[in-house]
Amino acid sequence: MHDAAPPAARARALTKIYGEGDTRVVALDAVDLDIEPGTFTAIMGPSGSGKSTLMHCLAGLDSSTSGDVYIGDVLITGLSDRALTRVRRDSVGFVFQSFNLVPTLTARENITLPLDIAGAPVDEEWLATVIDAVGLADRLDHRPSELSGGQQQRVACARALASKPAIVFADEPTGNLDSQSGAEVLGLLRRSVDEFDQTIVMVTHDAGAASHADRVIFLADGHVVGQLERPTAEEILARIGELAAPRGAR
Amino acid sequence: MLRVAIRSLRAHRLRFALTVLTVALGVAFIAGTNIFTGSLRGAFDALVSQPRADVTVRAGATDGGSIQATLPESLVAEVAALPGAAGAVGVVSAEGAYVLGADGTPVGVEGPPARGRSWVGDASISAVSLVTGRAPSGPGEVALLESTAQDSGASPGSTVRIDTPVAGVREYTVTGLVTRGLSGGLGGTLAVFDLPTAQEVLTEPGTVTAILVTALPGVSQDELAAQVSALVPEATRVETAAQARDDVVQRIQEGFAFFNTFLLAFGVIALFVSTFLIFNTFSMLVAQRSRELALLRAVGASRAQISLTVLLEAAIIGVLAAAIGLLGGLGVSLLLRWVIGALGADLPGAPLTLTGGTIALALGASLLVTIASALLPARRASAIPPVAAMREGAATSPRSLRRITFMGLALVVAAVVPATAGLLLADSDGERAAQLTGLAAALGLVGVLALTPALARPVLGLFGALFRSRVVGRMASANAIRNPRRTAATASALTVGLALMTAVSVLGSSARASVEDVVDSTIGADFVLIGPGFRPFTPEVYDAVRDLPGASVVTYVRTIPVSIDDAQSPVTGVDPAVITEVLDIPVVTGSVQDLGLGSALIDTELAQSLDVAAGDTVTGTFVNGEGKLRIVGTFEPAGPVRGFITTLPTLNSIGTLTRDTAVYIALQPGASPDAVRQELVTRLAAFPSIDVQDQADIKRDINGQFDALFGLVYALLGLSVIVAFLGIVNTLSLSVVERTRELGLVRAVGMSRRQVRRLVTLEALLLAALGTLLGLSLGLVFGVLLQRVLAPQGISVLAVPFAQLAVFAVLALIGGLAAALWPAWRAGRMPVLTAIAQT
Repeated sequence: MHDAAPPAARARALTKIYGEGDTRVVALDAVDLDIEPGTFTAIMGPSGSGKSTLMHCLAGLDSSTSGDVYIGDVLITGLSDRALTRVRRDSVGFVFQSFNLVPTLTARENITLPLDIAGAPVDEEWLATVIDAVGLADRLDHRPSELSGGQQQRVACARALASKPAIVFADEPTGNLDSQSGAEVLGLLRRSVDEFDQTIVMVTHDAGAASHADRVIFLADGHVVGQLERPTAEEILARIGELAAPRGAR
Repeated sequence: MLRVAIRSLRAHRLRFALTVLTVALGVAFIAGTNIFTGSLRGAFDALVSQPRADVTVRAGATDGGSIQATLPESLVAEVAALPGAAGAVGVVSAEGAYVLGADGTPVGVEGPPARGRSWVGDASISAVSLVTGRAPSGPGEVALLESTAQDSGASPGSTVRIDTPVAGVREYTVTGLVTRGLSGGLGGTLAVFDLPTAQEVLTEPGTVTAILVTALPGVSQDELAAQVSALVPEATRVETAAQARDDVVQRIQEGFAFFNTFLLAFGVIALFVSTFLIFNTFSMLVAQRSRELALLRAVGASRAQISLTVLLEAAIIGVLAAAIGLLGGLGVSLLLRWVIGALGADLPGAPLTLTGGTIALALGASLLVTIASALLPARRASAIPPVAAMREGAATSPRSLRRITFMGLALVVAAVVPATAGLLLADSDGERAAQLTGLAAALGLVGVLALTPALARPVLGLFGALFRSRVVGRMASANAIRNPRRTAATASALTVGLALMTAVSVLGSSARASVEDVVDSTIGADFVLIGPGFRPFTPEVYDAVRDLPGASVVTYVRTIPVSIDDAQSPVTGVDPAVITEVLDIPVVTGSVQDLGLGSALIDTELAQSLDVAAGDTVTGTFVNGEGKLRIVGTFEPAGPVRGFITTLPTLNSIGTLTRDTAVYIALQPGASPDAVRQELVTRLAAFPSIDVQDQADIKRDINGQFDALFGLVYALLGLSVIVAFLGIVNTLSLSVVERTRELGLVRAVGMSRRQVRRLVTLEALLLAALGTLLGLSLGLVFGVLLQRVLAPQGISVLAVPFAQLAVFAVLALIGGLAAALWPAWRAGRMPVLTAIAQT
C-alpha cells in the first residue's frame, strides 16, 4: 500500500455496534483510517461521534464488531486477551484523561511500569532523555498524590514514551488540566513527535489542543467526515461549525 | 431510609452473604447449645414419669467410684417388713463387667463404665427395660444394652463372653436387648443378669448393692425413707425417688455444663472474629458509597438518617444471620444429641424445641455483634459532608494511627501487670493465677489488635521485601499497607484464631512432654498392669504373675476414694518394703518405709487445702464408713499417686473389696523385656481386660487422650480461622471493586490477567502472613505464660511444638491463597475498558 514504512496503525471497515434491537447504536460505521508513523493525529468530533470508541478499538482496548485493526503489521482483531495484552504492553502507550497513575507507586515506578510488567530491562539513557523531556527529574520519588494534575499527566506521558511504543494513544489528555498545564502536556507530545519520531493519536474536543497535531480527523455519527492537515485552531473551529451547521439545519 | 438500606444490601449481595454466613456460624453454636440444653430439660421432665422405686437404699457411705460396697441380702426382707413398705427388691449393680468383642478384647470401655446389674422384674421400678427378647434367667444368661450388643457383635440367641470381677471370663447366652433411661447412666456398656447370677459374678452370694423399696398407699416417700434409715446400717445412703431424680438431673447437667460452656466459648470466639469482618465490610462500603451518601445528605437527609441507613443494613444482616444461625443451631443440637446417643443413652421424649428464649438469644447475639461493629462505620458515614457529592473521587484522608497505637501500647503494657502477678501467684494460688493470666491474655490480645495497624507497615514491608524486585510484588505490598486499618482488621481475625490455636498447641505439647517427664521420673517399673480405663481388677491377676520369672519386684497397689469435707481424694495402699523400687515417690517429710498400720503420707497440695501436717489425724468417710489416717509425712503430688499413701493392711482394715488398681513389675538386670512381656501375656490370657504396659505404652495411652481433646479444640478453633479467611475474601473482593480503575489502568498498559491475579493473590498472602505472624507470636507468648502458670499443676515442662506451628503457618498461608482465588479471578476478569471508562 505504501512504499515507505507501513502505517503505525490502520483500520479497515472498522465497525462497532453496541446493543441490539431498539437499543442498537452504531458507534463506528466502516471506518477506514491510516496512522502514519512519526505523526501526531488528533481525532475530533462531538459527544457520541464515536471518537473514543475509535481510539479504544485502534488501541486494542475494545473489540470491533467487524473490520480489521492493525498495529504496525499485526492484525489485532480476534487476538486472545493474552496476545492483546502483549501488544498493548510492547507496542502501545496510553495517556488517559484522569487516573493515569498507580497511586501506590512513585513517579519513577509509574514511568517504568510497562517495562517492569514485561520484565524488560530499562534503557536508562532513554529513560533519562524522557524524564528530562517531561521536566520531572526532581519529583521522581514522589507519589501521584504529591504531584499536581499537570505533573501527573506529564508522568503519564513519560510512561507512554518510556517503552518506545509503536504508537501512543492519548484520550483527552488535557481535559482535566488548567490551560497552562495543558499547554505543557501538548508541547510535550508535540516534541516527542518532532524529536523522538513518536507516533501519537489524540482524542480531543478542544480545538486548541487539536491544533498541535499534524492532522485532524473529524468524526460524526461513526463516520470520518473530514480532515485537516496542520490546521490552526481557527480553521478547526470553522470546520466544526461547518460540520455542525447542516445537522443543526435538519 | 429502609428502602435505601435494602437496595444497598441487594446491590452488594455477595459480601453481605459472606457477612451473614460468618455471623451465622457463631450464632449456630450459641443457639445450638441453648437448644440442646432446652431438650435436656425436656428429657428431665420425661424423667419424672420414668419408673423408679419410692425409696432406694444404696450400699456404701459414699460413692465408692469403682469400688462397690455391699449390703446383706437378708436386709431386703427386713426392709420389706417395715410398716410403710409394700415391698422391697434387692439389686446388684457393679462396675467391671467387661463384655468381650469377637477379638477377645473388651468393647467400649475406654472412658465410661462397664456395668453389670441384676434384672428387676417389676417394670414400674426398673431403670432398665426390655427392647427385644426376654429377661435373663439362670446362670448362663445375659441381656445386653442395645449399643453393647452392637459393639460386641452379639444378638439375641447368640453367645457372648463377659469378664466379670468375681467369675472372670465366662460365656453367656444373650436372651434379649435392653434400653435404659437417663437414670441408667450415660455411656459405657451394660450387661444384665438374673439376681443370683449377678451376685455370683459381680459381688458374692447373699449380698446386694441396693434395695428398691415401694411404699404402701398413703405412705409418703419421706416417711418411708425415715423408716428405712432407722433400720439400715450407717454406711448406706437412703434416697427418695425425688432426691434420686434431682441427683440424676444435677449429674447430667454438670456433665454437660463443661461441654456447653466449651461450645459456647467457641461460638463467642467465632462471633468476636466476625466483628472484624463486619466492621471492615461496612467501613469499605461506606467509603465506596461516600458520594452516594453525600448526595443523600445534599438532597436533605440528616446525619442521623445516614447513620440509621448503615445501622439498618447491619440490623437486617443481624436478623438474617440469626435466622440462619438458628437453623444451624438445630443442626448443632442434633449433632450433640447424636453424640449422646452414641454414648448409649436415650433422651426420652425430648423434642428439639425452638423456644422464644433461644430465638431471643440468637437474635440478641447476632444484632449485638452486627450493630456494634457497624457503629463506627455508621458514624463515619454520617460525617461525610454533602459537598463530597460534588468532589471528584472520594479520597478520605487517612486518619492518624496515633491514638489507636497509643491505646494498644497502653493495653499491652497493662497486660504485663496481671501476667506478672499470675506468674508470682502460680505456686500459691493456682486458680487466681490462671484468672490473672486469662486477663493478661485478653488485654494483650486486644492491645496487639489495636497495634496491628501500626505494625502492618513495618511487618508487611519486611515480607514485601521478599518479592520487591518485581513490580507485581511491589504493588501488592503497597496495596496491603495502603489502608493499615483495613489490613489490620482483616489480619486480626486470623490473629485471634491462630493465637488461640498456638496457645493450645504449646500447652498441649507441654502437657505431653510433662507427662512423659513424669512417667520417666516417677515410674521405675518396667511393666505396669492396669484395668480398662484404669479401673480396679481382681487380685487373681497379681496371683498369676507374682512369681514371674525375670522379675525382681512384683507388687500391687490399691486405691480407694475417701470423702473429706465433701471432697473426694484417693487413698493408695502400697507395700512399703518394695514400692520405691517401682515408683519414685517424691517424699518431702517422713518416709514410705516407715509407714505402719493406720499411718499415711499426704500430698503437699491436699495437706495445704485440708490444713493438716505430720502428727495430725484425718477422719474421712470411706465406702464402708468412717476411718482415720494418722499423717506421718508429706510427698509431692507429681507421679501417678496422689492424695494419701498408706500400707495395704491399713487400707484393708478400713474395709474394702479386694480389688487392685495396678500391678507394678520391675525386671532383674539382664532380663529380656520381650521375653517377660511374652510370659506376662501368656499368664494373663484368662484376663483379657488387663493391659500390659511398658513406659512407652503408658505415654502413648495418656498422649492419646490428650490428642483426642486437643483435636476437638483445634476443630472448633479452626472454625474461627475459617471465618477469618472469609474475611480475607471479603476484604479483597471489596478492594478489587474499589480499585477497578487502577486495575483497568495497569491492564491497559500491559499487565496480563495472570499478573493481575498474582497481584491480588500476593496481597492475600501478605494479609495472611501478617495475621499468621502476629497470631503465632501472640499464641506463643500466651502458651508459654500458661505453661509457667500451670507448672505447679503438673505442666512442668515447656515444649514448643515447632513442627506443628510450622504446619499452622503453612496452612494459614494456603488458606490465604485459597481466599484469594475468587477475588483474583474477578480482578483478572475485569474488562479493561469498563474499568478505565468508569468515572
